[in-house]
Amino acid sequence: MDANDGRSNAPEGPHVPAQQPPHPPPPEPQAPPQPSYDPADAPAHPDARLGVAALSLRYQVGAALAVAVVAVAALVHLGMVFLHVAPSNTVTKQHGKAIDEWIYPEFEQNWKLFAPNPLQQNIEVQVRADVRTADGTTRTTGWYDLSAEDGAAIDGNLLPSHTEQNELRRAWDFLTATHDAENRPVGLRGTLAETYLRRIVVLRLGRDDAAGPGGAVQRVQVRSRTTNVPPPEWSDEQVSTTPEYRLLPWWPVPADEAAGGVR
Amino acid sequence: MNGFALSVSRGIARVTESALGPYQSAVIRIGFAGTWLLFLLRELPHRQELYGPDGPWSWDLARQLIADNGAFTALMWSDGQFWFETVYALAVLASVLLLLGWRTRTMSVLFMVGVLSLQNRSVFMGDGGDNVLHLMSLYLVFTRCGRVWSLDARRAARTREARARGERIPDRVGPVLWVVLGAVLVAVTAAGRFDSDWFVPALLWGVWLAQALWWVIGRYAKSYEPRVLLDVVANVIHNGALFVIASEACLIYATAGWYKIQGSRWQDGTAVYYPLHLDYFSPWPALADLLAGNGTMVMLVTYGTVIVQVAFPFTLFNRRVKNVLLAAMMTEHAVIAVLLGLPFFSLAMIATDSVFLPTSFLRRLGGWVARACGRLFARGGRTVPEGDPGEPRAPENPEPSHVGFTA
Repeated sequence: MDANDGRSNAPEGPHVPAQQPPHPPPPEPQAPPQPSYDPADAPAHPDARLGVAALSLRYQVGAALAVAVVAVAALVHLGMVFLHVAPSNTVTKQHGKAIDEWIYPEFEQNWKLFAPNPLQQNIEVQVRADVRTADGTTRTTGWYDLSAEDGAAIDGNLLPSHTEQNELRRAWDFLTATHDAENRPVGLRGTLAETYLRRIVVLRLGRDDAAGPGGAVQRVQVRSRTTNVPPPEWSDEQVSTTPEYRLLPWWPVPADEAAGGVR
Repeated sequence: MNGFALSVSRGIARVTESALGPYQSAVIRIGFAGTWLLFLLRELPHRQELYGPDGPWSWDLARQLIADNGAFTALMWSDGQFWFETVYALAVLASVLLLLGWRTRTMSVLFMVGVLSLQNRSVFMGDGGDNVLHLMSLYLVFTRCGRVWSLDARRAARTREARARGERIPDRVGPVLWVVLGAVLVAVTAAGRFDSDWFVPALLWGVWLAQALWWVIGRYAKSYEPRVLLDVVANVIHNGALFVIASEACLIYATAGWYKIQGSRWQDGTAVYYPLHLDYFSPWPALADLLAGNGTMVMLVTYGTVIVQVAFPFTLFNRRVKNVLLAAMMTEHAVIAVLLGLPFFSLAMIATDSVFLPTSFLRRLGGWVARACGRLFARGGRTVPEGDPGEPRAPENPEPSHVGFTA
């Protein structure tokens, strides 16, 4: 995942337990480090700085074993991470499963930071809703541009919140990654992505008080508006800046959700 | 052949006799703990929306995803508000204590539990900065990162002084902490809540048992040998982890750089223009326009970024060039923090970079900080002991061929 990329944090595929040999767990310096172990009763004794040379053969074998195990674990781990971040290649095609088992769930990573190309489009997520007002009538709201609200919150902000910078942006990436061209969810993640995005837009509509006092959101419709970033002034490139829309179907909002959630 | 055997044995002596890079491991400990602490404090008003049981990524959604991917998070142990607030508060506390280096090993484990619990609870809230912290919190557990610039180091120095006077300072807090955390481990395991992938639970149990072993051997072993062996093992693991951390940093830069080379925008020298014009990454549109207004400037920065990222791992073979590039990268990250509105990503990257800082610089930095604290508190910067508690290794690596963290 990276600052720009959306969905990479979503672990893909069912997870099978990794087969990482446990690193020998490091002992805690309960008492102060190096020279003394337990200040209470430790007599003066040679410390590790005397090195393995101060040990008898039995312990030297133990130390050598530790060096070997740690060296192998570190190198195998780095090899696995390398193959995980490398482009698809002969080795990853043959041993993809073993690599995934090692990496997921805790060592997943993606460092394609603005690469191979930075995103060159502004994708705005917009929403409208059918609301039942306090007097019992139903009306459809106009489009709320939630991404523009995020953008406004980020403007002039030295410390943008993840709720403004990542939440909606990555939820949209998650949704597009788990839906087909007909906007149908694919698998469990597709359903999760839909519920997630619905909860976000309902939350935001609540903050914008879209239903008015005493009203309730009954269903919502989401669309995206994608606009190319106009090429720089000094460039002679021609790029269309006409926005493109992707319209999702209406989603009903469960009654408990329309009222609840984080405010 | 003889020369080869000699250098192998010298290498083994090096990685067994001490935990290398005490200042580097301390500065990344402070860097990562500080970054996560600032993030948690900044998001305090948004914590419910990000990780709370009723947030948009609700507890139930998280449960379904985690049942699928097996990630570790203590937040799945209960969907209650009280539990959520407790975990968030403990994550803050663990960051503070790890930053200060109090019971460093234990705190590094709790810090990791905090990071994983919150991040794995809501994976779609994170960005590259979270990813860095996630990995580094795991790696930090294996390091002896509290040897300098820590409360542990101060306590060690006091214990040493007391011993020299023939006094004994019994450690009561350590065993209490161990018993309490052990009770939690047993309770969680018995309740069957460790239903994630086996790795993190095994790590928690492993560290807890190793601490017991350490204590028992330190107290009851008849000969010095088991203690020295434990110390050697701890050093070897630390050195391995530090090597992994440094290599991970190289992998980050290599991946970021080599993939960019393949992109047409990085080739035609306009890439930097685009993020500056994305609504989500342009907190200062006027400033971005100013910087993006000059095509030659944009191209120089675009090419410079790729060159620095691709080159960095190779410059580790030359200390001077490495230090120049390090300064360039840290500066670039500081600029990114403001210009792209990515402060915590940048802080995490700067913390990662600092594993490559030269020891001489870090010691000078420590001196400045200690003096500044001294002036600030008048009573003396007590949490930043000056000098070098128990680690009088050569401050700079004399072998120019050596790669990595001590250089």
